[in-house]
Amino acid sequence: MKAKEIFDQVKASGRTLLTEVESKEVLQDIGIPATTTLLAKSKEEAQSLAGKIGYPVVLKIVSPDVVHKSDTGGVKLGLKTPEDVSQAYDEIMSSTKAHNAKANIFGVSVQKMAKSGTEVIVGMYKDAQFGPVLMFGLGGILVEVLKDVSFRIVPLTSRDAKQMIREIKAYPVLEGFRGIEPANLPALEETLLKLSSFVEEHEEVKEMDLNPIFAYKDGAIAVDARIVLES
Amino acid sequence: MEKEAREKLNRALSPRTVAVVGAKKDSNYSWLVNNKDFRGKLYSVQIDPNEIPGILELGVENFPSLMDIPEEVDYVICAVPRNVSPYIVADCIKKGVGGVTLFTSGFAETGTEDGRQFQERITLMAREGKLNLVGPNCMGIYNPRVGLKFSAEQPHSEDAFGGVAFVSQSGSQGSGFSTEAYNQGIGVSKVVSFGNGILLDATDYLEFFADDPETEIIAMYIEGIKDGRRFFQNLKAAVAKKPVVIWKGGVTEESSRAANSHTASLAISSTIWDALLRQCGAMNVHGLDETIDAVKALLFSRPIKSYPRLGLTAVAGGHSVEISDCFSLQGCKVPRLSSESYEQLSSFYSVVGGSFQNPIEGGGNWAKEENVTTILNILENDPNVDALVMELGTAGVQRTHEGLMQRIQTLKDFYSSSKKPFWAAQAGGTQRVPTELAREVSHELQKGGIPVFPNFVRAAAAMKKLVEYNRARE
Repeated sequence: MKAKEIFDQVKASGRTLLTEVESKEVLQDIGIPATTTLLAKSKEEAQSLAGKIGYPVVLKIVSPDVVHKSDTGGVKLGLKTPEDVSQAYDEIMSSTKAHNAKANIFGVSVQKMAKSGTEVIVGMYKDAQFGPVLMFGLGGILVEVLKDVSFRIVPLTSRDAKQMIREIKAYPVLEGFRGIEPANLPALEETLLKLSSFVEEHEEVKEMDLNPIFAYKDGAIAVDARIVLES
Repeated sequence: MEKEAREKLNRALSPRTVAVVGAKKDSNYSWLVNNKDFRGKLYSVQIDPNEIPGILELGVENFPSLMDIPEEVDYVICAVPRNVSPYIVADCIKKGVGGVTLFTSGFAETGTEDGRQFQERITLMAREGKLNLVGPNCMGIYNPRVGLKFSAEQPHSEDAFGGVAFVSQSGSQGSGFSTEAYNQGIGVSKVVSFGNGILLDATDYLEFFADDPETEIIAMYIEGIKDGRRFFQNLKAAVAKKPVVIWKGGVTEESSRAANSHTASLAISSTIWDALLRQCGAMNVHGLDETIDAVKALLFSRPIKSYPRLGLTAVAGGHSVEISDCFSLQGCKVPRLSSESYEQLSSFYSVVGGSFQNPIEGGGNWAKEENVTTILNILENDPNVDALVMELGTAGVQRTHEGLMQRIQTLKDFYSSSKKPFWAAQAGGTQRVPTELAREVSHELQKGGIPVFPNFVRAAAAMKKLVEYNRARE
């Protein structure tokens, strides 16, 4: 589905926050690789989708009322069997309801457990005076503490994309540091550039978070995504 | 900027006729007195009979209205109270002046309702009348070439002219830059202090100076931006034409509160600001000294695109340690010289009280002009050296003015026959050299292509800025 259609549907349902499934569909339309993520509305459907996708899988809560999914027990990783999926489904439901009894739950997302890579985050928000801005950084708690992120104002040139990746302090990690697999920098640059042209064309997008993106030697893939529209 | 507005603004910035409206005894007729060296025709507009005799005593022709001035008026300085200013703005529009500076304050920067309303009213009038309105709440235009000033100490001699435009939201930073640039041997094309910038703001002046043939470098002091997107686009376009150096005032929460009450500017996140300048390829500086040093490096130095291996010279041992520290702390290298260089140096260099390892130091060896040329040429020809930095000493031969001028000539002659960047700096401390002499030395050397810095720390920081600036633009 086209991003525009997804946005229209979300707006029509009175929401501004896209679910992970919707957000990843948008990424697919932009041409940014994301893990295939399908919505399951029941435990049985989750098991059946897991079988189609292939184990191991990840289950995540899909609810417009839950923003930080892992903080409220809404994420289960590395599920290897239909029994794992069944148990994870129950745990996610009860934990989410325990945190917010009124949460509107659409179901759970089922996705392939991605091979772990170097965690990278890419974000977009709107500055009051300069408009849409892209942010780049490494994932992980240390980087959050050190605020080791770089910014560029949309639209980005390819030089901007190259520079914003290289100017973070943790850049040597992306080059391959002490046995860490080097990240595919052109893939990350392309992600930034595609996102830049996308937000330039879609003024209704207020915020985007691709967090994390797993960067590998041969590419990069968004494992979680969040999109917020202007109200 | 439309062609007509641009032509008019050009008239205001390089005027042949200037009118001061509202000159007063209370302020010692300062706007008229400050402009006594104006090379064009200066008029006064004043209707108060108590004020007129004092104006005539200054030898300035006075008229009751702008409309009565018998020729075209390029630039108006309006120093009337806020409540009178709309009438003067209306006259400026009717008269078709090039531009007007509203020195008057008491507008949006006061945070009061009537201040905002007055500002709104004047903005509408000026916009409809296509008037180039500078300000309000500002000092306006300084142009040394035509002797137009907004503070008495701004110089207008020939060596005050040059290629640097300074666009300043603040009048005091504007006059500070004018005098400091002069003292540091930098020539200025124009300085504009634009205050609240209700019609023309930083972005418009940036656009103007990017295409101003008299301006080679644009330096700016900015507290706030009206339209961030437009600034972003214009800055990119300007940087493609000439270097832009920007000093942002109000980068912390505390200082942005001051900027709001000073020029009604809204806070800008410093993270985004830094990213914006990097993205556009402008040089990001803080404070007057950094602004001056950045301008010097950009204006006078041969290009330095990566951290250079430096050949250093110093007057004495302690200074040779200091100069090495300063530059190596900023990322530059201080290598050993080639064996050929050491051979040549050892053939004449006295190591009693000196050393030529790099830095090459020891005052006595530098007394003779031919030694100076020889030493500099050894560094110039050394394959381990990318650029030269010399300590400008103040002792020995340089105590007499004649000796000093001879030394300057030696350095300029060497530089014109060389290819590597060559900078000069004094050791730290103030008042080593009288201001006027320091100005003369800087002016002469910089005219010859050798930037001169007041101390090693500032020179080294400027070199790092220049390298990072060029790297970001690769």
